[in-house]
Amino acid sequence: MASDPVDVLIVGAGASGAAIAWSLLETRMRILCLEQGDHLQDSDFPSRRDDYELARYAEFSCDPNVRKLKQDYPINSEGSCITPVNWNGVGGSTINFLGHWPRMKPSDFRTRSLDGVGEDWPLDYHDLAPFYDMNDANTGVSGLGGNPAYPDYTPPLPPIPIGKLGQTLAMGFNRLGWHWWPSDVAILSLDHDGRQRCVNAGTCDLGCAAGAKGGTNFTYWPVLENAGVELRTNARVREILVDRNTGLAKGVLYHGSDGQVHEQRAEMVVMACNGVGTPRMLLHSTSRLFPDGLANRSGLVGKNLMFHPLTGISGVFDEPMKGHEGPMACSILSQEFYESDPSRGFVRGYGLHSGRSTTPMTYALGGFGIDDPIPWGAEHREIMDNVYPYLAGLTVVTEDLPEEHNSVTLDPELTDGDGIPAPRISYRLSENTRAMLKHGEDRANEALLAAGARRILPNDSDKVWRRAGWHQMGTCRMGNDPKNSVVDGWGRSHDVKNLFIVDGSIFVTSGAVNPTATIQALALYIGDRIKTNIGNLFD
Amino acid sequence: MADFPMPPKERHLLASILDQLIPGSCERNIPGAGETGVADYLAHVAARRSRFDTALRRLLARASELADGIDSDAIRRLEQSMPMEFAELLTETYKGYYSRPDMRAKVGVGAHPVHPSGYEVAQESAEFMDSLVEPVRARGPFYRDPSKAGGGRDGERSG
Repeated sequence: MASDPVDVLIVGAGASGAAIAWSLLETRMRILCLEQGDHLQDSDFPSRRDDYELARYAEFSCDPNVRKLKQDYPINSEGSCITPVNWNGVGGSTINFLGHWPRMKPSDFRTRSLDGVGEDWPLDYHDLAPFYDMNDANTGVSGLGGNPAYPDYTPPLPPIPIGKLGQTLAMGFNRLGWHWWPSDVAILSLDHDGRQRCVNAGTCDLGCAAGAKGGTNFTYWPVLENAGVELRTNARVREILVDRNTGLAKGVLYHGSDGQVHEQRAEMVVMACNGVGTPRMLLHSTSRLFPDGLANRSGLVGKNLMFHPLTGISGVFDEPMKGHEGPMACSILSQEFYESDPSRGFVRGYGLHSGRSTTPMTYALGGFGIDDPIPWGAEHREIMDNVYPYLAGLTVVTEDLPEEHNSVTLDPELTDGDGIPAPRISYRLSENTRAMLKHGEDRANEALLAAGARRILPNDSDKVWRRAGWHQMGTCRMGNDPKNSVVDGWGRSHDVKNLFIVDGSIFVTSGAVNPTATIQALALYIGDRIKTNIGNLFD
Repeated sequence: MADFPMPPKERHLLASILDQLIPGSCERNIPGAGETGVADYLAHVAARRSRFDTALRRLLARASELADGIDSDAIRRLEQSMPMEFAELLTETYKGYYSRPDMRAKVGVGAHPVHPSGYEVAQESAEFMDSLVEPVRARGPFYRDPSKAGGGRDGERSG
């Protein structure tokens, strides 16, 4: 079955798909977004239930291999120490992300020139700065202006409370003379734009029932749907179609909510399926013109997968830290060790993130993203009574450098519910990353002790958090050279002139910060370039 | 799948195991996992997940053979002899125990669902935050900005 053609077809209703749809609204083009999941209903949010924590291990797990909802596709991550996590539905992974909103830094866009690693981006921080600002206003970002670790900017809303835990750690950083700053967050500190301010529920990963977290289900999509953008849910794209005469994308085949396969024609196709979903779809879209996958003449579709490998260090303090009160990942962020320093034995750097604590069940089961329960018996009682309430921790979030062997390919056997091959992840930590993690653990120990921790909990240095593949980047990277990149400096495929990619897969390097602010700023930037070049868009 | 059959003898045995896994605290008036009825939760899970159902049956059969009754040594032997099944039991026990609002409250976390009321966290005053970040501000800018003159080296920045 075929539907009326549209001007712009966006695949994926998450962070980047929503942002570029908003950017293109003013063109008055007919915009359609296909989303494999659905809207979340108010009753779907587990945080309204007494046993809300159970959802973290079932229908609201961040891991699609655990969730196994109809709209989810399985991911074979047996060949990776980190497994990708996500959400499939309107809002994408902004449904269950934690709302931490740091920007990338100017040096992140020039790692080859500055440090001799990775590649330089075809744009820089200052190109993106106005789009960071625009997106912060649309999302409702809270934070404190004047952070000396960045060129000057001020978030539109004042910071959220950093709480007792954040204050305690901040004083530790001050004692050491190290940088820290209240985290920028996509979470409302004040009622804003018809949305309610954060109530400090502390379960951001279970979706924000209050609407305080800036998921695109609460920010962009209500505006977009009111403005006439068509959002077709329960519509899973199977393949991108190519005109064999022109070599242009002509639309997609998708599985609709009626169980039938439909054809949707479009003048322009925009991929917004994240750093795993987009290469999966391109690799599955083979044709005579593109036998190795669409837009893959460089051979780089699916290559250079980057995550942000994480580890965490916890200290036990004398007073309860009340870490379960407040947005769970967002209190303060130290970037003291972010920039390269050759004396440290590795290139590039990392951030020390002060998340808050997690809830009792999750702590007992090993922590967020970890399957390693705490001991049973008398030791269990001791930990839950005399350790858990007194904890404050720091998470070491490292920059991941692009390496071609870290990749997304198609699994030869595993498929989703519609028979589309599942992605297979091959990924290993580099020695540079391991050195960075070790350095970060040692510095986190110092910071916690300086903040007054009476003891530091032991940590297994060889392990990174497994369910930590939130940030999926690099698998269709940007660049000026078609031999060395998949899309150009404004997200357009080098090979297919009416195919754009706007999600984290186009990142050239990863930085060491949560990527969503940059993903959306990039999508707005690409939308702006499309509008600027509208007269000769497909030349 | 039929509900997990739980005759009184088995229920008692399971409760004894659970009290060893998460013991209570008389001093703090916290009941153990067996006392709180986590066995009902486990039966509920077993009725819905055949793998757990099998694991629980095997563990209970093995536990009933332990001549000396259920103490921490017996549980340790159970863990060593059936590590996979034991790991499943431990995970589900923690879930069953801490999904109870009253048990959350015993470790200092609200018993209520976190929405809509959440938690009251005092907003720091602007003056307090200014004083807290003052040492950081005093260091001045320290990022690298390659687009600025001389910005390629650590600690330098202009603009």
